[in-house]
Amino acid sequence: MGATIAEKILSSHSGTRSARAGDVVVASVDFAMLHDGRAPNALKRVAELGAGKLPFAARTAFVMDHYSPPPHAEAANVHREMRAFAEAHRTVLYDVGDGICHQVLPEGGHFTCGDLVVGTDTHSTTYGAFNAFGTGVEGTDLAAVMMTGRLWFRVPETIRVELRGRLQPGVWAKDLTLAMLGRLGAEGANYKAIEYAGPAIAAMEIDDRMTLANHAAELGAKAALLEADEKTIAWLQSRGARGPRPVTADPDARYSERIEVDAAGLPPQVARRHKVDDVVGVDEAAGQRIHYALVGTCTNGRLDDLRQAAAILKGRRIAQGVRMIVTPASRNVYLQAAREGLIEALTQAGASVEAAGCGTCVNITGHLITGDGDVVISSANRNFKGRLGNANSEIFLGSAATVAASALTGRITDPRTVDGGDWRPVSKAA
Amino acid sequence: MGALIRGKAHLLGDDINTDIHCSSKYHPGRDNAYVAQHVFEQLVPGFAARLAKGDVIVAGRNFGNNSSREQAVHILRLLEVGAIVAASFGRQFFRNCINNGLPVVECDVTGISGNDEVEIDLALGRVAVPARGIVREVPPLPGEVQAVLGAGGLIPFLKAHPDWRIPSPLTGEG
Repeated sequence: MGATIAEKILSSHSGTRSARAGDVVVASVDFAMLHDGRAPNALKRVAELGAGKLPFAARTAFVMDHYSPPPHAEAANVHREMRAFAEAHRTVLYDVGDGICHQVLPEGGHFTCGDLVVGTDTHSTTYGAFNAFGTGVEGTDLAAVMMTGRLWFRVPETIRVELRGRLQPGVWAKDLTLAMLGRLGAEGANYKAIEYAGPAIAAMEIDDRMTLANHAAELGAKAALLEADEKTIAWLQSRGARGPRPVTADPDARYSERIEVDAAGLPPQVARRHKVDDVVGVDEAAGQRIHYALVGTCTNGRLDDLRQAAAILKGRRIAQGVRMIVTPASRNVYLQAAREGLIEALTQAGASVEAAGCGTCVNITGHLITGDGDVVISSANRNFKGRLGNANSEIFLGSAATVAASALTGRITDPRTVDGGDWRPVSKAA
Repeated sequence: MGALIRGKAHLLGDDINTDIHCSSKYHPGRDNAYVAQHVFEQLVPGFAARLAKGDVIVAGRNFGNNSSREQAVHILRLLEVGAIVAASFGRQFFRNCINNGLPVVECDVTGISGNDEVEIDLALGRVAVPARGIVREVPPLPGEVQAVLGAGGLIPFLKAHPDWRIPSPLTGEG
């Protein structure tokens, strides 16, 4: 019997010849990540473990992204603790403003295809965009990895998603995931891995593939895996990653479910207030008045997201009464956006561009405070009631293009109906 | 291993998000001891007060959903919950329970009522309510997971077995 990508990666990392869904393995991890949101618990657990040496520290990144910048002394003190620990044990360190964990790990070339990566964050599924098994863990897990380089895993069942055709201009991986959420429901892939395949993946640039793998966390996925192609390998090589060991699924691999999605026929999607799986085509939400627009977070704060927004907003002005925040996913994204004139275009259009980080997603930084009755259109990944701190406001989710088009008109708007809304990147590799 | 877990059932429903009901997110600035006393009280007033050492939480689908905060499990350990039986669990919550030595069993819970005496055999993979004639077979937890649970969690396990060698369930030897 053949194996899925998840089964192959967990087999090769545990010295088990043929680990299959349901098995528990103790596997060697290639890289680990701890962010500031979970650092207090994790560092406490490391202390409890009482290990003199942490051999895996050199392959662990500490990332200060949730409190970037820190909104209170407590968070600033967590950062002090992280810096001191990182220096003492020689971990990799990304400080305030460097970027979101899921962006700086691949940008830093810390892992490659076929690797096993753990991070203290549910969106660690992002690494699957590069054909690595990335999954979220907690502090105890992280302490165990830092001491031993290994961790126990239950090998997940896999859902295979075949995407027919390619996404049309103005439609993005965000829309694809929202459509999946509408179909499977939040947590519809709980415990499971998802393999995405088909022409739509080949046509997607890396930024959009990262969105696809990242956003699988809302489906409850333990991992989301894409096969590697020339684009993946070229991207990783340009960031100095180790030689790739691409892993493919066997044709006779066993899946818990096979799903087909008509990528070519998919219109932009919107998740309506409070529920990530209350998803409709943008037409059904169009006209809804909005007061706040956010482009950013680990899901959609990458260069292609900023390019989408700038393509729509360049030389224009967001609607009166609308406030817009843009948070680039990393310092590198910020710099490149500045070089391309995107920061200027967005700022002139009325947006405020903030330091790279992910705090705006849950308003940890205190910069995105909504008033009673305010409606937010956001490229983030979750829209639970009260997520931005005010239960009397509402959050809708859409692609960066949908967010920008909506900021422009003041109402939820199909990006394909505004100039620049059909922008799409031109592939360099393929 | 193989010891039987026996405790009184306390029922909770579907989609209990521990993030809201048993973490400090719900009680900002409060310590675990305080949060523990108010656990699930929004849903079941006086829940903590009725919980005795070794009692079993019996819940529906997606228990611990959306929460990866390990603290939610620390609270339940502090209350000396004996085990949790639920129709399904949030992924990270399930992991956190095992890592903190709190037995978890995924099992059909229909027919189990509050205050029922529940018996759980982790090694055999069985959940029973003798008084109601309920006996349900579940896939036994893998040996590795049982070993971590038996040690009281991942940290005590690694202190005893820093090389991850899993003791054989038959001999107890590494």
